[in-house]
Amino acid sequence: MAHERRRHRGQHARVNLGGTGAEQDAPGRCEGARDRGHGGALYTSEDRGYKSVPVLPTALVARLRAVVGADGVIDRPEALLVYECDGYTLERAAPEVVVLPRTPAEVGAVLRILAAVQVAFVPRGAGTGLSGGTLPIAAPVMICTSRLDRIETIDVPNRRIVAQAGVVNQWVSTAVRAHGLCYAPDPSSQPACTIGGNVAENSGGPHTLKYGVTTNHVLGVELALPSGELVALGGAVEDRPGYDLVGLVVGAEGTFGVVTRATLRLVRLPAAHRTLLAVFDSVDAASEAVSGIIGAGIVPAALEMMDRLIIQAVEAAFKIGLPTDAGAVLLIEIDGPAAGLDEHAARATAVCRTSGVREIRVARDETERAALWKCRKRAFGAVGRLAPNYCTQDGVVPRTRVPEIVRIIAEVADRHRLRIANVFHAGDGNIHPILLFDERDRDEVARVRAAGRAILEACVALGGSLTGEHGIGVEKVAEMPLLFTPADLLAMARLRAVFDPEGRANPHKIFPDAKVCVETRVPRRQAAV
Amino acid sequence: MTDWGALVGPAWAAPGRADDAVDGVVPTSVVRPAGIEQVQAVVRAAVGDRRALVPSGRGAHLDVGAPPARVDVLVRLDRLARVIDHQAADMTVTVETGCSLACLGAALAAAGQWLPLDPPRPEETTVGGLIAADLSGPLRASQGTVRDLLIGLRVVGADGAVVTGGGRVVKNVAGYDLPKLHVGALGTVGVIVEATFKVRPRPAAEEAIVVACRTAREAADAALAVRDSDVAPLWLEVAGAGGLAEGPGEGAALVVGLGGIAEEIAEARACVQRIAESLRLRAAMVSGGTALRARLGAFPVEPAVAVLKAATLPAEVGAVMERIAAAAREQGTAARCLAHASSGVIRAAITEPAAVAPLVQALRPTLERAGGSLTIERAAPTVKRGVEVWGDPGPGLPLMRSVKAAFDPSGVFAPGRYVGGL
Repeated sequence: MAHERRRHRGQHARVNLGGTGAEQDAPGRCEGARDRGHGGALYTSEDRGYKSVPVLPTALVARLRAVVGADGVIDRPEALLVYECDGYTLERAAPEVVVLPRTPAEVGAVLRILAAVQVAFVPRGAGTGLSGGTLPIAAPVMICTSRLDRIETIDVPNRRIVAQAGVVNQWVSTAVRAHGLCYAPDPSSQPACTIGGNVAENSGGPHTLKYGVTTNHVLGVELALPSGELVALGGAVEDRPGYDLVGLVVGAEGTFGVVTRATLRLVRLPAAHRTLLAVFDSVDAASEAVSGIIGAGIVPAALEMMDRLIIQAVEAAFKIGLPTDAGAVLLIEIDGPAAGLDEHAARATAVCRTSGVREIRVARDETERAALWKCRKRAFGAVGRLAPNYCTQDGVVPRTRVPEIVRIIAEVADRHRLRIANVFHAGDGNIHPILLFDERDRDEVARVRAAGRAILEACVALGGSLTGEHGIGVEKVAEMPLLFTPADLLAMARLRAVFDPEGRANPHKIFPDAKVCVETRVPRRQAAV
Repeated sequence: MTDWGALVGPAWAAPGRADDAVDGVVPTSVVRPAGIEQVQAVVRAAVGDRRALVPSGRGAHLDVGAPPARVDVLVRLDRLARVIDHQAADMTVTVETGCSLACLGAALAAAGQWLPLDPPRPEETTVGGLIAADLSGPLRASQGTVRDLLIGLRVVGADGAVVTGGGRVVKNVAGYDLPKLHVGALGTVGVIVEATFKVRPRPAAEEAIVVACRTAREAADAALAVRDSDVAPLWLEVAGAGGLAEGPGEGAALVVGLGGIAEEIAEARACVQRIAESLRLRAAMVSGGTALRARLGAFPVEPAVAVLKAATLPAEVGAVMERIAAAAREQGTAARCLAHASSGVIRAAITEPAAVAPLVQALRPTLERAGGSLTIERAAPTVKRGVEVWGDPGPGLPLMRSVKAAFDPSGVFAPGRYVGGL
């Protein structure tokens, strides 16, 4: 150890906090990439000064094709359009080439080819991310995991499943439903989003209040490092000795490499549910009920709030029979063994009455439960009818500060002449303001960006966070210094350099684009003993 | 010599004594900083003078891990013991890491809440020790472990800067999940000074049912039957022969913890009884489930020459317990076993010093080949000297070495205590 340390001392590298140390000499660097950093505003990719210049040699593309097959490489410009953005549509940038490996080993082979010529890459699952985490910036190669679509093992007695990265979230629960099991994290995009993407973003969903988020359900990952080496971290058995590298990979937004497969924990399907929809005159009253329910010692499976604009949109679209003059509705779901559920539901109802609830609807069967959930799950679709475009923000406040943040959001909407609808995971304090706009109106787009930043600033000021489940991506890199000190960011940069010393894995994500270069030692991977 | 007294005040720095020993290694000095700034000063001095530093709380779990290569200074954090901010309505608590679990528990109980982690010796276990040694107890069956409840940390790093990871909100994916780095790391990558946890409402009532079984395998199978039923156990322990002080002697037992409101407990109790009857086993209620849980949770620190910890898949618990018993018999001794059944974690208490190394050799390869592990959780220093404490941490070891090098470049944080000699 001492000998190795001596050997490596003095190996210093300049690591940009943006993780782009290799970018300047690497093929695929973007025109103007060094002229960025105009103090804090959000940009479109073009505004950022990125103008991608094709630089990948034809021979390199041919080598990639040799690994993944002719149908595994997409490089026709019209076909690449699909990949120029994910669910975050305010910025667009197409990769030069999309590679679709068929096996984890092929991911490793592709990465080895890229490592040899120091080319940066961006991993992508289904492209449902909401923070631009798969936007290729100074990364000419996109590695898409959609053909890694095998569920490899289902272990019912041990409640484990091994799924490749491209397996769709919902397939996992579908595959084990007959055994009375499910995979708990259920983001709204679950019919499309992939396990690999969920791991990268540490995805949540409406049921995280009781069941936790992705990191609580991932026991192991196989990670293809930027060097091309595949390394299995963690596994089906708990309590493996050593640093919790799995916990660090989850939520790293693809900046450590490409996750190729994951070992997931399954949970028992709840035996029974009680689902209630409570209608309130105001968000304040509904928030008071949320605090009351938590304070009464009830941990609901879900506690979701929607404000008036959402109610009106849902009602206009789906005619569910919601009162369009209501200030807020609260969807409350309690689950578990049947015994005691009625008692818990009765106590939640009593709390709502104390908070001045106007009306409570109780689902009497699975059909009625689905109908009540429809109003929540279709909220985003309904909003699509209100404006040509919308941008979903994602911020967190301590749950008791929900009324304050909702008031601030209303003020921000007034100030920026925007319409903002609110749907959120009230039990977690995870807000999702939906900013409505028309992308043809450049001024309105600019106001959407400014309003988004103002809301995030308020979240941080209230003791919260920039993102609860969508990730930093490119969307929020400029806001990171609101939450983290230079020392915090340096610690993260050190961690990143452990996995990706050359900064080639999903560059320009998470870390603010400050022009600050920090001197940090890049530890070289040491041989296993 | 580093003048520690100049950093923390002469009254709070002293030469190490025998009872300050970290796994048999007596520290040269013991310092007790009064606040984060003093911790920073101590870390800076340690790094500057290349002094090996071991963070400590009240010293209850300093025998976890491998004996350190050397200890120049033991940094006791027992003066950083405040509960900083308990937001009952937000179900979060921020606490200094020198605070004991008993003290934290009392603060939370006032609001009907708890931090549902139940390692042994809550009076002597600090929040920092809980995190650094990744301690848990029977409640992990339903409540998870430290990694599931920890949402924020403040850590003094090797450069002396305070680094904040995570935050104070229950859902947060901004930046890397740095708190995870420190869970179970035994202070090898920084000194944890402050932590924020999710807390939960404490169940209205708790009780336990003991199901007497003929063999450990039968008890482990019954445990899975309970797990797969509508019982939703709060905890689920399987005791082998002698694993349960009040237990059935040579037989084995399944102990099911139930929590909740009266109606939930009554239904769950009836359900466990039905399962027991269907397996032709006898179930007996135990009033005071909390006290029984605490006794079972204390198993790792009960008097023994060594406590081994085996980790396996939940469905393998019975078989592994039988293998441990058989291996102990071959060594001419007996192993008392107790398992967190649904987590696949089994502890074996060994009383014969000479049997420890052969038992580890006999059991470890099979467990590791199946993706599990066998670690020596606690043992007398003389016993540890003859055997590798951690076993193989798996293919992630090279990355772990890089992590250690990145966060402790001069190698002053608890050198030698962790996996692979880190």
